[in-house]
Amino acid sequence: MNENKIAEIRNLVKNYGVKGFQSRVLKGIDLTIFRNDFIAVMGPSGSGKTTLLNILSTLDKPTQGTVILDGQDITRISNRELSKLRRDKIGFIFQDYNLLDTMTLQDNIVLPLSLNGVSPGVCIQKAREMAELFGLGEHLGKYPYQLSGGQKQRGAACRALITDPEIIFADEPTGALDSKAGRELMECFRKVNESGRATILMVTHDPFCASYARDVCLLRDGLITCRLSRGGDRKEFYDRIMDMQASMGGDFS
Amino acid sequence: MTVWKLAWLNFKNGFKNYLSLVISMAFTVLVFMNFQNLIYSEVFQVLGEHNREYIEVLVQVVSFVLACFMFFFTGYATSVFLTRRKKEIGTYVFMGLSNQKIGKLYSIETLFTGLTALGLGIGTGILTAGLFQMILVTLAGLTVEVHFFVSAKPVLVTTVIYLVIYLFFVLKGYANIARSSVLSMISAARQNEYVRQNRLILLVKAVFGCGILGMGYSLAVRRGGPEILGHAFEAVVLVTLGVYLLFGGLIPLCFQTLAENKRFLYQKERILWVNRVIFRMKKNYRTYAIVSVLILCSVTALAMGFAMRERYENIIQFEQVYTFQLLSSRDDLADQAERIIREYTDIQYQGEAPILTLDTSDIVTGDFYNHYAVLPYSAVRKLAGSVSLEWNIPEPGDDEIIRVSRLYLLSLLTDRSGRQVTIGGKVYRQTGETSEPYLGYLQEQVSFYMVSDREYERLRPLGQELYTFNYKISDPAAFQAVKERLGELVGDRDGEYTARVAIDPEKNDLDWVRVLYPFCIFMFLVFLMSSGSMMFMKVYNDAFEERERCRVMGRMGVEESVLGRAIAWELGMAYGLAFLVMAVSSWFSVRALANMMYADLTGVNVVSVLVVFVILLFCYGLSVAVYKRNSR
Repeated sequence: MNENKIAEIRNLVKNYGVKGFQSRVLKGIDLTIFRNDFIAVMGPSGSGKTTLLNILSTLDKPTQGTVILDGQDITRISNRELSKLRRDKIGFIFQDYNLLDTMTLQDNIVLPLSLNGVSPGVCIQKAREMAELFGLGEHLGKYPYQLSGGQKQRGAACRALITDPEIIFADEPTGALDSKAGRELMECFRKVNESGRATILMVTHDPFCASYARDVCLLRDGLITCRLSRGGDRKEFYDRIMDMQASMGGDFS
Repeated sequence: MTVWKLAWLNFKNGFKNYLSLVISMAFTVLVFMNFQNLIYSEVFQVLGEHNREYIEVLVQVVSFVLACFMFFFTGYATSVFLTRRKKEIGTYVFMGLSNQKIGKLYSIETLFTGLTALGLGIGTGILTAGLFQMILVTLAGLTVEVHFFVSAKPVLVTTVIYLVIYLFFVLKGYANIARSSVLSMISAARQNEYVRQNRLILLVKAVFGCGILGMGYSLAVRRGGPEILGHAFEAVVLVTLGVYLLFGGLIPLCFQTLAENKRFLYQKERILWVNRVIFRMKKNYRTYAIVSVLILCSVTALAMGFAMRERYENIIQFEQVYTFQLLSSRDDLADQAERIIREYTDIQYQGEAPILTLDTSDIVTGDFYNHYAVLPYSAVRKLAGSVSLEWNIPEPGDDEIIRVSRLYLLSLLTDRSGRQVTIGGKVYRQTGETSEPYLGYLQEQVSFYMVSDREYERLRPLGQELYTFNYKISDPAAFQAVKERLGELVGDRDGEYTARVAIDPEKNDLDWVRVLYPFCIFMFLVFLMSSGSMMFMKVYNDAFEERERCRVMGRMGVEESVLGRAIAWELGMAYGLAFLVMAVSSWFSVRALANMMYADLTGVNVVSVLVVFVILLFCYGLSVAVYKRNSR
């Protein structure tokens, strides 16, 4: 595997239902993710975005095809190894934040590191660094219920990034945020990506968010039908995404 | 679908959730019914009318305690389930059901649970009635033939009492739901705010808690006179309040302080369980406190049972030390009495000693007896040697006195040191007390004081000297015949006075005390089982709340073994702290009991705490397994 390749997906197929009454959600996806990529996956409802994300993030198993992550075919490894992979190589950001309400923000951020047995000194130092990076330095001692949606999601991003994972999977990260908080989050994503700290694969239905990515893959009927690359200006990229959406039609919400 | 059908479906589908409640309630019903059944059973008839009356009173007292406990436990269990059900049935609001309808649904569902527990309790109660009586009789050490016997009346009494209590709480739950706002019902599931509590409030609670608990402990072990009954009551109230404040103040304060020390907190799964303990403590501290106090009661009840049994055996031994005692103004009865006894049986041992009886106006002790007497030191020592009783008493000085007392079942007088006794105007310092039965049954009737031989001689003119002749016969079958013959010596003739005490070796008028021991064991089991099930119910509900958090951590790659260890620690803290507080408190409560019962109960304390440990360990293991399963 090329050193810069983080993930390689070949002929990925996923069926749901029982034999004879199956529906094919993914119909043979091929995708290669390189280090420092920031890919947004868009598509209409039912196009298979979340299914793809769940398989890539090892939460679901494909019916057919291979997913090579960190040099291992995740379709063939044991649950224990999958847990280890999730813990050490993957970071998750969920739509509904999924911060643990029993802990402070700092404890939430540190959790993956602490469970990995990293020394408390390193945990504390890294949590502060991440929090400063995401503008949360003042809020480390607060509980999730004391934070706004945007702060919670940035906290979740800190938690995802603190173990220096190979790749971050984000499932509709701005889905529950207002536009200002969404924009702030995307700025943070851009910043960590451009500084070389994170490779991100994000599923979103929002073209504005997608415009922060370097590449946008459009998923339709279980296949990647189009891939756009940003190049230079974000606004121009946003217009191109909108045009492509309009040409494809369908419900992207 | 009718409300009845919906309630039935809910009950059927959620039966697993109710299981711990049903089993605990059924066990309480079973024990209550079996105790009631004892009143009508023939098992205690053979002990005679005197014992039967006492036992009936005891059964009624135990039944009253059980009924109070049933009331409290039902209230607790239904409120736990109401909170849980409120979250679920709140969604019926969106189906257009009114609060009253939802309340009715809850009431019917809870009624099904109650009736199931009642049916199960009565059914198993009837089936185990014979076994229950057999266990009771065996534990009491009685030789009674047990026949299977169940009367309709105890079943009816139990059903009525249980239903009245249960219906009260069902109606309370109905009123609670009917009066709830829609918002409070549907938002009951997302009240995870205020995880951490205000430090100042916790500090105040902690200080008060420690102070109150300390006061309670010190009152419990304080020695004194009759006022210790009041002290004991105050100690119960203070310890209960103190334990409550300990779980509501000091313990969360300690955990919050630990959680703020990040170098301590960020040690693998410690970050999970310490935070969870803080979170749970806010919601569960009342339960932990109740469980601690309940187990404390159960340990004290068990210690009481053991102490009563030991006491009973000692009292019997005390009374039976002599079969016959003659009390006479003559000092030459020994040969005559021995000759009479030997006509019928051999003598195991015998001894004699003079006593100086005093008029109540010549002695001031602080106790209130009708008869007082003084004993000479060397005569008592000789008597002890003749009947092989323990003797390690040094001769008192001229201004010293030693109390020779009886054994008490329970005494409110726990401080006997440094007391003063005035005889004939002279003040003596009481330097010791013995309850060795040197003078057997007479010791129960007369308040004896032992003085030095010189003092005895000096006091002699003050009272009337009498002589005691004490005999233990070898053959109990000869008792009646010897008694009649010795009766010939009894009388008040020519200024000479002779009285006789005869203790039947087969008398059983204290048998009712033996029944206390198994009663206490049953109370111990009821309290302990209920405490275990209260913790279990709480854990069972908590596990469902934890499901979402575990799912998140699973997605983050946190291994099940790590989650398992965090769960084990969290529950270990809950059970462990309740156990620890109970174990410490039990030392004081059992010590207080030991003071009143003149017994060394340290061994009983240790054994009962170990029994509690084993049972709680079992509940803990079960809770961890259930928690892991339910939180997945």
